[in-house]
Amino acid sequence: MITVALAKGALLKDSVARFSNAGLDFSAVLDPDNRQLMVPSSCGRARALLVRNGDVPVYVAYGQAQLGVVGYDVLREHQMPVAQLVDLGFGGCRLAVAVKASSGYEHAADLPPHCRVASKFTHCAREFFDALDLPVELVHLTGSVELGPITGMAEAIVDLVATGRTLRDNGLVAIEDLFQSSARLVGHPLALRLDRGELQAIVEAMRTQTELPQALV
Amino acid sequence: MALQPAAGARDLNPQQVERNHKISQRLADTYRQWGYDEVSPPRVERLDTLKAGGAIASQDIVRLVADDPLGLRPEMTASIARAACTRLANRPRPLRLFASGTVFESRPTDEGSLGIEEKLQSGVELFGIREISAEMELLSLLVASAETLELCENHKPQLLMGHTALMDLILSPYQDNQRDAIRKALVDYNRLALDELELSEKQHDRLIKLINCRGIPLVILETLREVFGQHDVLNNLQRLFEQLEPLATSQGINLQLDPTFQPHFELYTGLVFQLVCQATAAPMVIARGGRYDGLVARCGAKANSAAGLGFSFAVDDIRELLSAAPPEPELIKATLVAYGENTTLEQALKHQRLCHQEGKRALVELETCRDREEALTRLAARNCTELDWIDS
Repeated sequence: MITVALAKGALLKDSVARFSNAGLDFSAVLDPDNRQLMVPSSCGRARALLVRNGDVPVYVAYGQAQLGVVGYDVLREHQMPVAQLVDLGFGGCRLAVAVKASSGYEHAADLPPHCRVASKFTHCAREFFDALDLPVELVHLTGSVELGPITGMAEAIVDLVATGRTLRDNGLVAIEDLFQSSARLVGHPLALRLDRGELQAIVEAMRTQTELPQALV
Repeated sequence: MALQPAAGARDLNPQQVERNHKISQRLADTYRQWGYDEVSPPRVERLDTLKAGGAIASQDIVRLVADDPLGLRPEMTASIARAACTRLANRPRPLRLFASGTVFESRPTDEGSLGIEEKLQSGVELFGIREISAEMELLSLLVASAETLELCENHKPQLLMGHTALMDLILSPYQDNQRDAIRKALVDYNRLALDELELSEKQHDRLIKLINCRGIPLVILETLREVFGQHDVLNNLQRLFEQLEPLATSQGINLQLDPTFQPHFELYTGLVFQLVCQATAAPMVIARGGRYDGLVARCGAKANSAAGLGFSFAVDDIRELLSAAPPEPELIKATLVAYGENTTLEQALKHQRLCHQEGKRALVELETCRDREEALTRLAARNCTELDWIDS
């Protein structure tokens, strides 16, 4: 049986739609009354695991799920050994350095050395600042990262930005992007190498619909 | 006092040890049948030897605090190859050796501390043959060894194979950094990384075709001939698979050739393979191996005899795989020597010795029993089937 790890939250609806177009119907997970975390597809040949965004690559890397859908930001942060198969195009956002609008900083390199930077994405942030040769103290937060500069705990933050509204409403401004992110179809490398076509057919169906103009999907 | 073992270290109960012993014994019997001699390489080695000339990353090795740079072996091939090229250098080739023992792998845990993975391995090494005949013997032995494990249909055993020469063919048009980037994308099965590389459309399409190319070996070889034309490696593999396919099929093992498959350790310079079974939820690698001529050369073998290949079974993983549906525990015949108030423990121990001389498994009930009936009630608790009662 094929097992698919799906991230709860913003990516779920589009993920279900893409799998549905590839022949696996997991629409039961969208039912607001659903409390099950392991949901079979309507055809019975697959099942979906409903997990937190950051846990999708974990389930896939350990082989409990052969396929999964997760944001590129999570893949970059966790660096788990999963195969990246298709850029699904939805869930677009960017990981950016943001500072107080009144701070006067225009580039990340303008930040003072050894300043504090708050982020949920400390691995990505470390890579970025190391590449700039700028020593910073990273403070790991798990949410509401914008409060870092507002309260004065941190000079800057590294966080996901979709529309930029949360930053604006909190008096912050993005000054530099680390990378663009979107939802990716990932797979367990060994399961894919042992595959005799079943997984490949799903991957190809999802790739084909991603490459079509979205109005036709 | 800490009561837990260090993270990842094995701490087995008697039943697990018994099963490990049985699996190792069956494998060893098969290796002996095929003419392999047992060796016992050291658990502690110099880091330099363990790194196998850079093939094994130092962070994978559990290092010891000592004046010399020492570590615990993460696998046994490097040590056996060294022995084959030094102490056993004058033995005639082919040299067939096998070993079983514990290996230690170091890995960071999720909490950021160091975890030690301690595993029991059992494997063979075949030295001195550069031709495909060595692969033919080795994979036949792998299939014969797997047969003794009594895997069932639900385990869906699959032999996944690749070859470093196939990877070299794929990478031959590319140089330097681009070659490394393509290799990494193919080995990591990162299709999106391939899309991001600066390649012509033709090159990109060819690499996409190859990253998706895997399946029944003889069919895949045909596809590779269409792409690369005739090559020695393809002809050699053809001979190997023609011999192996009926043998594997008779044991219910599916063969899968994957030109972009390369294992974690960069030890291999030829055929590479993993025997994978379906565990309760995820695929489990129960054996792995390949050809490592480069390593044998680094150990000092002369060019014409610098050849070695081997495989090892992961005994603990096989035990876990088989214990998902454990067979009925075998009732081992054992005698309980119990004694009453009219005799002594010394007499009981003498009687036990007599039992042992007869080749019987016997243990003494250390506490005095009131009567024979009481001794009988203790049989089950002591895992014994017979009672020898002495009371005079």
